[in-house]
Amino acid sequence: MRVERTDTEVRVGPWPPHAERTALLEARGAVLAWDVLADDPVPSARIHDLDRAADWLWEVYGTAVTDGATEVTVAAEGDWRVRDAARVVAHLRWAEAWWPASPTAGVPALDTALLRAELAVATGSVEHLLDDEDAVERALAAVGPFTADPAVDALAARLVALAEDYGVVLTEAAVPSRSSFALAAGGGERADGVTVLSGAEVVDWALVPQGVVDAAADARWSVVRRRGSTFLEVAVSPGPRRGTRLAARFGQVDVALDDTDGLGRLTGSAPVPPTVLLLPPAQRVLTVYAPDFASPAADPDPDARTRRAAIVAYARSRVGSPTATLTERRAGRR
Amino acid sequence: MSTVHARAAPAGAALPRGLLIARAWEALGDAVAPLSNPEGRPLARTVKLILDPLVLRPVQNPGFAAGAVGIEHVDALRDRITAAGPVLAATAAWFLVLKKERRRAGITDGNPQDLYFQRCYELASAHGDPRGEPAAVARRAAAVLAEVHRREGPTLAGVRDFVAGHGDELTRLLDAAWAHPPVPRRAPGPARPEAFLATCATAPDRALFAALVADAAGSRSAADLDLPGGARVRGLTDLDRPVRPVPGHGASKQNLPKPFDRSVVERLFAAVTGPLRDALDDVPALVRQEVSRSAGPWQLADETGRVVLALGWEATAALVGGPPGPVGGAAARLRLRWDREAYVHRALRMPSSMPDGVRADVDGVREAYQRRLWVRVHGRELRHDTVTADELWDVLDGVLRSVILDQRDRLRSALRRRSDGGAS
Repeated sequence: MRVERTDTEVRVGPWPPHAERTALLEARGAVLAWDVLADDPVPSARIHDLDRAADWLWEVYGTAVTDGATEVTVAAEGDWRVRDAARVVAHLRWAEAWWPASPTAGVPALDTALLRAELAVATGSVEHLLDDEDAVERALAAVGPFTADPAVDALAARLVALAEDYGVVLTEAAVPSRSSFALAAGGGERADGVTVLSGAEVVDWALVPQGVVDAAADARWSVVRRRGSTFLEVAVSPGPRRGTRLAARFGQVDVALDDTDGLGRLTGSAPVPPTVLLLPPAQRVLTVYAPDFASPAADPDPDARTRRAAIVAYARSRVGSPTATLTERRAGRR
Repeated sequence: MSTVHARAAPAGAALPRGLLIARAWEALGDAVAPLSNPEGRPLARTVKLILDPLVLRPVQNPGFAAGAVGIEHVDALRDRITAAGPVLAATAAWFLVLKKERRRAGITDGNPQDLYFQRCYELASAHGDPRGEPAAVARRAAAVLAEVHRREGPTLAGVRDFVAGHGDELTRLLDAAWAHPPVPRRAPGPARPEAFLATCATAPDRALFAALVADAAGSRSAADLDLPGGARVRGLTDLDRPVRPVPGHGASKQNLPKPFDRSVVERLFAAVTGPLRDALDDVPALVRQEVSRSAGPWQLADETGRVVLALGWEATAALVGGPPGPVGGAAARLRLRWDREAYVHRALRMPSSMPDGVRADVDGVREAYQRRLWVRVHGRELRHDTVTADELWDVLDGVLRSVILDQRDRLRSALRRRSDGGAS
């Protein structure tokens, strides 16, 4: 990997190209990033304080980076347990943010409670290199009780021991419920009225919280003439996590997605002027967003569809895989 | 010169301290597992509370200081940890004993590592390994726990009762203290805060820090607080000008006003409900000092603390578009942390639209920063724990980290609240 030294930082390796595929770790003096799709155990780094980072950087690259090398080759064999533990923490935080739960693509939801528990235990392994000195306490405080199950007994035992070591009383509060999702089949436009124009659009993940919208399904829109009026109708397949207010923007029109159709999709409808039919195709773009979370972005992202398909495929491969985290292995198994 | 490379030594001349400690630690084997993480490395607090202050002592042995260790000190460092092996093993065993006793006694407060690590080292040094004489061991463990958890020091009830019983006297004292405000000195002194900030992250200039204190640079920088809006833009009050505090009655963590708008009781609330209250003065002294402190520059009593506030204000100008100063200086480093947060925010898929309360803190990061810095410095002043030149960068950087992490927590909980509210 190349090591570049600028006035303000030392850069090791190329940075992952998009936030959606970046597993990030905020370490003391540096930020580490693993490209989720690249499956390389060695992360890239942006080191802003080499003095602080020097204490642990050797656990990631050996001593070459602190010695001033411009190129670093990391041997595959060796004791990289700390680096691997750091990767698990980063990966779980990636999963927490970006896991593409999708009923249509068959990516089951993660068990949030299990994820938090596994994250707390993993954080305990790398506390000595984290930027946040209270990271373990913070992670433990976020843990709720999770379903008793022989497969997670070992994790539960480690969690209890960790909580005891840090004097944190694990919360007994209720866990966020994970609704069992209804499988949505495609197709099925509204029966009444005449559909004049329709289309589909990927949902920008950054505009909705994780798990709220089916990560693989498109949002569908149609312009419908009904009893002399024109309506814009929007439908989007929900993810496993309910309760977040959604809306869609089409041209200048905002539609609240506060209904559910017979297929379990979240739908909304708004009267529009017939001139909407005259919009040039470039402006007939549907943006689904959660108003409490983000505002519709203007910048188009032409790579989104391919990139997201790759992430969805990756997530599918993690479910049940022996090399994945416990949280991923047990996705949808509750 | 780039400060990032400041201590990067040529290959072979030095080794990372963490690497040397990890290797020496590994050789101690399973006996120190209770002080280690699952990968066999010493826990963060093992290094901070035991190895550093009790075994390596970098103050006496500058060769063992953080960062890189010169090749000529490598053997000495390893030998020191190896020599401490038996006492570290006994420390680990005592930690298990204390944890067991803690469980038996049903104690849940405090972090056992923070509270017991150094006690365990003392026990290990005085009595050796705890295995063997169970009765004496249990007695000693119980005695240590009783002492650690006795929780001496003033309480909130004590402060409240004293203030309630001395209302007239305190009001008189407050009036007198506020009748003669310090004469503001607006002219900057000869010692320059920005010169100290330029190097404090890597090579703090202790003489310059002392000169800033001697020169009352903190009090000088407080002169603007008396101008209309001066204390408000620094996040310390909602008022145009700070007014004399009232003695007050109660206080609650959720609704504390901004620092200068707090009553005397509210100002003391965090200190008397915190874990370190045994370091505080007794209640009458604590309350009366707070009265006179409230009328001082920056509403602090000690010039060193005021200098820290002045340095914090200077260093955070860059967070809101001010000049970042020299590369590697405190202002530039804080600015980089703040810029990094924007990226981390996206990478963690944090919401980009936020409720007003949180937005005010993000837009007003410099105010939020100064407010938190004041609270921290004030707390340390109450515990007679003066910030040193060497600690300064960690304080300045730590305050911004804590402002940022607090914003993340608040964003997450605001989002969760709104999702729950909207659930059908």
